[in-house]
Amino acid sequence: MASARIGIFLCHCGSNIKGVVDFDRLLEGVKGLPDVEHVEDYKFVCSKPGQQILKDRVKEYRLNRIVIASCSPRMHEPTFRTVMREAGLNPYLLEIANIREHVSWVHSDDSDAATEKAIDLVRMSVARARLLEPLEETEVTVRKSTMVVGAGIAGISAALDLADAGYQVYLVEKEPTIGGHMARWDKTFPTLDCSSCILTPRMAQAGSHPNIELLTLAEVEKVDGFVGNFEVTVRQKPRYVDLEKCTACGDCLEVCPVDVPSEFDSNLGYRNAIYIPFAQAVPSAYTLDMENCLGIDAVRCGKCKDACEAGAIFYDDHMKELTFKVGTIIVATGFEVFDATEKAEYGYGTFPNVVNIAEIERMLNSAGPTQGHVTRPSDLKEPKRIVYIQCVGSRDQRTNRYCSRICCMTAIKQARMIRDKTGADVYIFYIDLRAFGKGYEEFMEDTAAAGVSFIRGRVGEIIEEKENNLTVRGEDTLLGKPIDLENVDMVVLSTGVVPPKDAKKIAQVLNLSQSPDGFLLEAHPKLRPVDSFNDGIFVAGMSQGPKDIPDAVAQAKAAAAGAMSMMGKGKISVEPYYSKVDEELCAGCHICVSVCPYNAITVNQRDKAEVNPALCKGCGTCTATCASGAISSQHYTDGQIAAMIEEFLSAHE
Amino acid sequence: MTNPISSDKIESEDIDPQFTERIVEAGADRIRTCIQCGTCSSVCPSGRRTAFRTRELMRKAVLGLKDEVLASPDLWLCATCYTCLERCPREIKVTDAIIIMRNMAVDEGFMLPQHRKASQKLISTGHAVPIDDANRKVRKDLGLDELPPTTHSKKKALRDVQKIMKKTGFKKLIEGQAEEGA
Repeated sequence: MASARIGIFLCHCGSNIKGVVDFDRLLEGVKGLPDVEHVEDYKFVCSKPGQQILKDRVKEYRLNRIVIASCSPRMHEPTFRTVMREAGLNPYLLEIANIREHVSWVHSDDSDAATEKAIDLVRMSVARARLLEPLEETEVTVRKSTMVVGAGIAGISAALDLADAGYQVYLVEKEPTIGGHMARWDKTFPTLDCSSCILTPRMAQAGSHPNIELLTLAEVEKVDGFVGNFEVTVRQKPRYVDLEKCTACGDCLEVCPVDVPSEFDSNLGYRNAIYIPFAQAVPSAYTLDMENCLGIDAVRCGKCKDACEAGAIFYDDHMKELTFKVGTIIVATGFEVFDATEKAEYGYGTFPNVVNIAEIERMLNSAGPTQGHVTRPSDLKEPKRIVYIQCVGSRDQRTNRYCSRICCMTAIKQARMIRDKTGADVYIFYIDLRAFGKGYEEFMEDTAAAGVSFIRGRVGEIIEEKENNLTVRGEDTLLGKPIDLENVDMVVLSTGVVPPKDAKKIAQVLNLSQSPDGFLLEAHPKLRPVDSFNDGIFVAGMSQGPKDIPDAVAQAKAAAAGAMSMMGKGKISVEPYYSKVDEELCAGCHICVSVCPYNAITVNQRDKAEVNPALCKGCGTCTATCASGAISSQHYTDGQIAAMIEEFLSAHE
Repeated sequence: MTNPISSDKIESEDIDPQFTERIVEAGADRIRTCIQCGTCSSVCPSGRRTAFRTRELMRKAVLGLKDEVLASPDLWLCATCYTCLERCPREIKVTDAIIIMRNMAVDEGFMLPQHRKASQKLISTGHAVPIDDANRKVRKDLGLDELPPTTHSKKKALRDVQKIMKKTGFKKLIEGQAEEGA
């Protein structure tokens, strides 16, 4: 390649950089460096006129390397790379010195030092620019199929959008039915739409869609491959019931002698060992819970098999391991309800009449264990005086610091329904009421008008009195007086949401990150809210953080759109930041294979290391580990880095 | 109050941000995260019987209402049972904050007469609650020495205690500037 002819462009970013950095000194400090043919400053290099200046100067001075001192490359690197292409240069012959985030914004109190640092950074960039090599982006094909993990309302919504657009979808759900938590709720706020009335049509659609393959009782075990070409291993537990043959007639139910607490009913009722979680379950088939089944042979029990006219029950069903090849993955693995036994002062699990909001949902549901009646667990009487306690397991340094977002509106909705149904006195103890969504504030207002009392204060403790009645101790903080509410029939804890117990495993299997609260981490909180750090994998719904149904659905649609934008085109280009192996130098020791965090290195037939460019993230671990120096990280070569360090350490005024 | 219409208003000169800073530096480091939820007041055994409102005290501390807090007799109504500290969802060291503010109050000369009296007794006898005739009699009846083997009977021990009181500044704190030369 011809010798380096470097052009330097210094951006003011309005006053963002120029307000701190002394540009006269900066220009002076970088002018006259070897190979630098041109130096220029401009108020916004990223603007159209700024871009034009850059292109003009390339021609004028026959520049072949560009150094831009501006904001972080995370902001405008793509912009400037496009300009490079338009100017006829390889986009990888560009080097950006970050003198905004790394200089003017963090050293705004020391203009002198900031200017000096800016000069250093630009000089180092020039040193690296001399050694930059032109690189070509590789293209990988993207399979037109998606795996959606988790079939709650988020997973179902994403799956339907993708399937309707013509993509093959594998919808994986660990429970016997799809539907998730929403299938358990009674009404939805703020419209009081019946939850299952709006959910079950979507479930049925997902169940019968020609482009959706449903996998219930299934969990993702392993993900290999890379964006566009994932290979997913799924383990499916045996159902012991043939989905094709089962007519969901319920004859098996009649004869099953086993009663176990029903998880679907928040353990408020019982189910048999052979069961269907609820009438509209999809797939519409029974499941045999082998852990609780008495025995499958005629000596121990075996009654269900005899009763099944369709002959759908087969006891020799077994665990299956299935693999699928997909282009993209959407993770919508949901949440769990906070375990209120962690807050011992509220007596959940000890006082029978202290319940949580999930249990009330099942009570309110006419298909639930109490046929729609809210009842005291201790004596099944109708409660006349009910207290709701907000923020149980939320906004609490001792449990979860975050706001669970859904509990305010859930409590208000339930209180409203109980008040309307039974006329009971309902008190809601709150710290702050967060009615953030469309129509929520109005719903809260109507609930207050309906006679639900709001008391501003967090409850400190609950005491159980005679006949399992409760005394609730709080403070009315607006009056500044402690309040003891006595003879309370029932206390409802507005339990927050937590990541599912296996969130860590999910994150590991899919190579995703978790935020400190345990929910899955999005790639950018504002601009990439449903992307993960792993290209081609998207997150949606509660798995990413607490949110209500409209937000979960919106995210699901966003994730589906993200997956479609990759699959629609059919191929994506991958930045050439991967490592390269010099086979002449490779000793075949395989150490790089063992240290690579992305499983991107394999050993080829010649017993030499080989890097898969689509998998490699260019982290440089192999480069640093290789004892023979056979691996180099493209665009971040040892030589380039060393040149920057040398420039920084070399004496200059 | 004689005026039936009181104007209970916070003036800007009532707010001393340094006050909050000093409480934070003295160890109640999370006090600024208080969300005024009232958990502290609701579990306070003193607040159930008196006008003591832990939450209000925390609010005043966070706002920096130094004079109002330090001059208030309420500051002394906490029984330091630590329940509020145990329950606070923000993990604020509520009780510690109260003790810090009490120390500041005494430094500024605010002290209840009862506390001053007990402290004076401690200086003069080595006991905050010295022995009285009834207890002397009980001891005698039980076959014990009339006076216990403490500063009551050991004059040197009492002198040592008083020396400590003086050296640590406790004496000055209780008896005020007037005693300084003595």
